[in-house]
Amino acid sequence: MENNLYLAWSPDATIQGMGSSGGAVTALLRCALENQMVDAVLAVKKRNNSRFDAVPTLITDPELVHETAGAMHFAPLNMVKIIKEYLDGAMDMRVAVTCKPCDARAFIELAKRNQVRRENLFLVGLNCSGTYLPTVAEQMIREAFGENPQDLAGEEVDEGKLIITLKDGSTKEKDLEELVRQGYEMRENCLRCSYKVPRMADIACGKWGNNGKSATFIEICSPKGHEFLDAAAQNGALVMEPATNEQIEKRKQKETEAVENAQAREKQEIEAFKRYSSEERLKYWLGHLSRCIKCFGCRDACPICFCKECYLEPYRGCIPGGETPPDIMFQLIRLSHVADSCVNCGQCQDACPMEIPLTRLYSVLNSELADIFDYKPGVDIDQPPPLTTVTEQELSIDAPDIIGENSSDR
Amino acid sequence: MNAIEHIPTVCPCCGCGCGIELVLKNGEIAGVEPLKSHPVCKGKNCLKGKNAYLYANSEERLTTPLIKKNGKHEACSWDEALDWIAQKLSEADRDAVGFINSGKCTNEDLYLIQKFARIVCKTNNLDNASRFCHSTSVPALLSTVGAGVMPTSTPSIEKADCVLIMGANIQETYPLLAQKVIIARTKGAKIITADLRRTPTVKNLTDLHLQIHPGTDAALINGMMKIILDQGLANTDFIEKRTSGFDELKAYLDTLDLQEIEKITGIKTEQMKDAALSYASAHNACIMFNAGIAQHAGGVETIQTLADMALLTGNYGKPGSGVNPLRGHSNGEGFGDMGTVPVFYPGFQKVNEETAGRFASMWDAADLPAKPGLTYMEMVEKCPFLYIMGANPAMSAPDINALRKAFEKKELVIVQDIFMTETAQMADVVLAGACGAEKDGTQTGVDRRVQRLRKAIAPVGDALPDWQILCRLAEKMGAGEHFAFKTSEEIFEEIRNCVPQYRGITYERLEQAGGIQWPCPDEGHPGTETMFVEKFGTPDGLAHFQAAPYKAPLEPPDDAYPYILTTGRLNFHFHTGSMTRRTERLQNEISEAFAEISPQDSENTGIADGEEVILRSRRGEVKTRARVTPDIKAGQVFLPWHFPQCLANILTGPSAGPPSRMPEFKFSAIQIEKVESDGK
Repeated sequence: MENNLYLAWSPDATIQGMGSSGGAVTALLRCALENQMVDAVLAVKKRNNSRFDAVPTLITDPELVHETAGAMHFAPLNMVKIIKEYLDGAMDMRVAVTCKPCDARAFIELAKRNQVRRENLFLVGLNCSGTYLPTVAEQMIREAFGENPQDLAGEEVDEGKLIITLKDGSTKEKDLEELVRQGYEMRENCLRCSYKVPRMADIACGKWGNNGKSATFIEICSPKGHEFLDAAAQNGALVMEPATNEQIEKRKQKETEAVENAQAREKQEIEAFKRYSSEERLKYWLGHLSRCIKCFGCRDACPICFCKECYLEPYRGCIPGGETPPDIMFQLIRLSHVADSCVNCGQCQDACPMEIPLTRLYSVLNSELADIFDYKPGVDIDQPPPLTTVTEQELSIDAPDIIGENSSDR
Repeated sequence: MNAIEHIPTVCPCCGCGCGIELVLKNGEIAGVEPLKSHPVCKGKNCLKGKNAYLYANSEERLTTPLIKKNGKHEACSWDEALDWIAQKLSEADRDAVGFINSGKCTNEDLYLIQKFARIVCKTNNLDNASRFCHSTSVPALLSTVGAGVMPTSTPSIEKADCVLIMGANIQETYPLLAQKVIIARTKGAKIITADLRRTPTVKNLTDLHLQIHPGTDAALINGMMKIILDQGLANTDFIEKRTSGFDELKAYLDTLDLQEIEKITGIKTEQMKDAALSYASAHNACIMFNAGIAQHAGGVETIQTLADMALLTGNYGKPGSGVNPLRGHSNGEGFGDMGTVPVFYPGFQKVNEETAGRFASMWDAADLPAKPGLTYMEMVEKCPFLYIMGANPAMSAPDINALRKAFEKKELVIVQDIFMTETAQMADVVLAGACGAEKDGTQTGVDRRVQRLRKAIAPVGDALPDWQILCRLAEKMGAGEHFAFKTSEEIFEEIRNCVPQYRGITYERLEQAGGIQWPCPDEGHPGTETMFVEKFGTPDGLAHFQAAPYKAPLEPPDDAYPYILTTGRLNFHFHTGSMTRRTERLQNEISEAFAEISPQDSENTGIADGEEVILRSRRGEVKTRARVTPDIKAGQVFLPWHFPQCLANILTGPSAGPPSRMPEFKFSAIQIEKVESDGK
C-alpha cells in the first residue's frame, strides 16, 4: 500500500516562519495556485492583523497566499457557506479550501446533494482540537490571562491546556478546565466533536506527531491528495518525508485521547437528557425555542441547508409571517430537514441572538439517528442520506427519545 | 474569475450598533453576514440586521435630484437643484429655515448640517427624532446625574443581577440587548418588566411582569422607592458620598400612600414590593427604559424617579448598572453629540454667547447664532423653509393631518433621502442621498459606541453622500471655505477637534470591531465603558435627587373617546419603514398594520379578530384590522406605526410643554368602530 503519512515543510525560510509547523499548508496552496491546479484558494486571514477578527478570503494571486499562513483557534468561520452561497457551489471553478473537520463534513453532505461540485474542490483538512468564539477568546486573554489581546502572537491547544504566545516571544498557559470554571469555554459543539482529524478531506494536516519538528504531519486521504502533494514535492515547494513509527504512534495517541474526551462529553450530555421525563424535556426545549425571534440566523448559517424555496418563508404558506415567536413548526421543519445530516458545526448556535442551544438539539437527535440508520454524516460521500433511503422496516422503529433536560440551564 | 470581499460595517436598524459584514461578489452586495468578532453582537444579528443594506439595490432608490414642477417631481442636475435651493435660502429671513435631521445619517453628515445651519443660515433651528424619543430623558437625566446618555456598556448588561425593563419591548426592538439580558438571566438575574402589554419580552424573558396602567410609571417607581426606604435597603454610604437632595426626596416619599399608588398604577402592593426588593437587593441592578415611558407628557418625572431609585441603591458607576435610555436610531447618540439640536452646539455645549463665540473662532466664522433654536414641531409649524435630511416626519411626527396642512403653506421644503418617502412626496426639491453602504463615516449607538461605517459599493446613479451635498450647497452659497472637505475622515478630524468627548478617536483607531466608547479624551485612552465611576456629570460632580410626582397623561379617555391608544414597533420593521419596507424578507413577514384589542373589548364592541375597524381620535382616523389578543388589557389599543396605509400618527397629538415638548405618542384617547361588511 502506498504510504500516506508524511511530515512536510516548506524549504522556503520565509514561508516556514509565517506558517505554523513548517508552513506546509501555505506552500502547498501557493504551489497549487502557481501551477494552475486550482483557480482560487479559499482560506482564512486576519483582519487588521487581529487574531480575533478572522475573515474568509478568496485568493487568485499566489503572492497573497501567505496572508493566510498560521493556525487560528478563534476563527470558527463557515467556509462552506462561501462556496455554497457565494461561489455557486464551485460548479465552474476549482477551489482549494482550508477546512476544519466540520467544514469538510459539510462539504461531503452538500456534495451528496449535488450542491457543491466535489471534483472541483481540493479540501485541505486541518486537524482541529476545538475553537473559541472570538469575543469569548478576546475577553479570556484580557481577563483570565491578564494580557492585552493585541499582544497575542499565537495560540495552541495541547494536553488539556491553552498555550498562548505573545509578541515578545513569551508564552503563558492555562488549564482548559480552569478556564471553563472562569466562564471561558470552547464552543459547545467542539467539546463533543470526535472528528479531530478530517479524513473525509483530501488531506488532513496538523502538528500532532511532528514531535517538536517544524513540520506538518499530513495524512493523504484521497488520490487528489496524492496528486497535489506529489506536484508540490516535484516543484520543490514542499519537502516531504515519510512519518516514522514513533511519530505515527504519537499522533495516534493524541488523537485517541482527544476523541475519547469528546465522546465522554457527548455521552454525558446525552445521558443528562435521558434522565428527565418527556414532560421535562419538552418543557426544556419549548422554554428555549419560545424565545425565537425568527431571524433565520440558524437556517442561513447552516452549511447543510440549501433549498432555494425554503418552507420556512412566509410565502410558502406553512409558517405564518410576522409572528414572534414563529409557530413551533418553524423549529420542527428545520429539525426534520437537518437532523439526519447535522455535522455539529455549531454555526446555528453561534448565530442565534436568543441563545437557543440549537446545535445541542440537532446533534443529540443526530446521535440517535446515527445509530438507527448506521449513518455518520459527512464521512463517506458514497453513503446517501438516510431520509432518502429509508426502508419500511426503519419506518416502524419507535420514535427516538431525544429531548431532555440539562440541569445547568434554564 | 469571481472575487469575494467581506466589508465589516454596522447595522442601520436600531441603536444596538451590531456588526455586520457585507459580502461583495464581484463588487456587488451578494449577502450580509453577522460579524463574528463584534463585541456587541458576537456574530449574531436579528432579521433586520441580516438584511441590512439590501435595500441599497432597490429599484425605488432615488438616483437623481428632483424638482417639483407643475405638481410633479422631475429629474434635474445637481447644479439646477442646488442653484435653486441656494437662491431661495439666500432670500430667507434669519431663523426662517428649519433643519430636521436624522439618526440614520452619519456623524459627519450631521456635523455638516449643523455647521451649515449655523454658519450659512445663522440659525439654531435644528432638531431630530431625539425630540420624539428622548426629549424627556435628557432634561431628567441632566437634572439628576448630569448626562442623558447610557452610562453602562451594552456587553456589561450580562453582569447585572437584576434588570428592570421599563416601557421597552427589547426582544423585538433591541434583540441584541435582549441577548445580554438572556445571558444575565441564565446566570441567575431576575428580570422585571413594566409594560402595559404582554409583549414577547414579557412572555419569554421576564420573571416579574408589572402590567401597569399606561403612563403611571412614576407612581410605581415612587412606590418602589418608598418600600426600599421602609425596608432599610437604601445605600446610605453612596447617598452620603455621591449625592445631594436626599432629604427632600425622602420627605416627598413619606407623603405617599402605597394603596393610593396601587389604585393609580393597577399594580398590587405585593408585586411592587417584590420588584422593589429584587431591585434593591441586587449587587448590580440595571434599568433599561425606552419610549414606553419616555413618550409621555410626564416622561421627565418618570425618568427622574428611575435615576432617583438607582441612586438610592447605589446603582451607578459600575458595569451592568445605571439608568439606560435605549436609542432607536443607529446613530441615536451621535445625533445629539453632533449638536444637531436647538440647544447644543457639538459636544453638548450649550447654545449661548460664549459657546457661539468659541465656535466662531474654531470655525473662523462670524456672527454665529447664540439663542436656542426652534424644536421639531415648532419648525414644522413656524418655519417657511424646511431642510429635511433623512427624516420622515410625514410618518413619525404626531398629528400628521396637521403636519400635512402646515407643509402645504411652506415656501420651500427640501428633502434629502435615499427613497421617495412619505415626506419627500410633499417636497419641492428632493436630493438623492447615498445610503450607508455607499459612504464612509461614523455612527454612535446606544452605549456611546463610535463605530466606522464603510463604503462597500458606489452610490446608485447620481446619488451623493449627505455631507457632499451640503458641501456643494455651501459652496454655491459663498461659504465654500468652511466646507472644503474631501473625505469623511477630514470632517471627523474637525469633529474631534470640537467635540471633547471624541478627541482621542481617529478613523485608524476605529478599525477594530466594536469601535470606541466616548468619552475618549486622548489617543492613548481606551474609551469609557462605564460612566460616573467617580464623579457624575453635574457641575459639582454629585448626583441630585429630584422628588418627582406622577403626572397624569394629557388626553385622558372620556365618553366620546373611551379607549387609550398606544403605538409601538414590531420585530420585523424599523421606525417609518423607509428601509425595512423596501427589504423583501422583512416585507414578506408583515406589510400591514393591525390594532390589538382585548377579548373583553372584542365582546363589548362585537369586533372579531381580523375584522376591519376604524380608529378615530380628535385629530383624524385610520382604518386597519383588529387583532384580538389577551396580551392587552381592556380599554387599550395597540397600533404599530411602521405602515403608511395606516398611519398611527394621524391619531396621536397632544404634546408636553417645555423643556421636553414631547408628543405623548404612548397615550391618545380614541374611539374604535367596526367597519360593516357592506363597506360603510
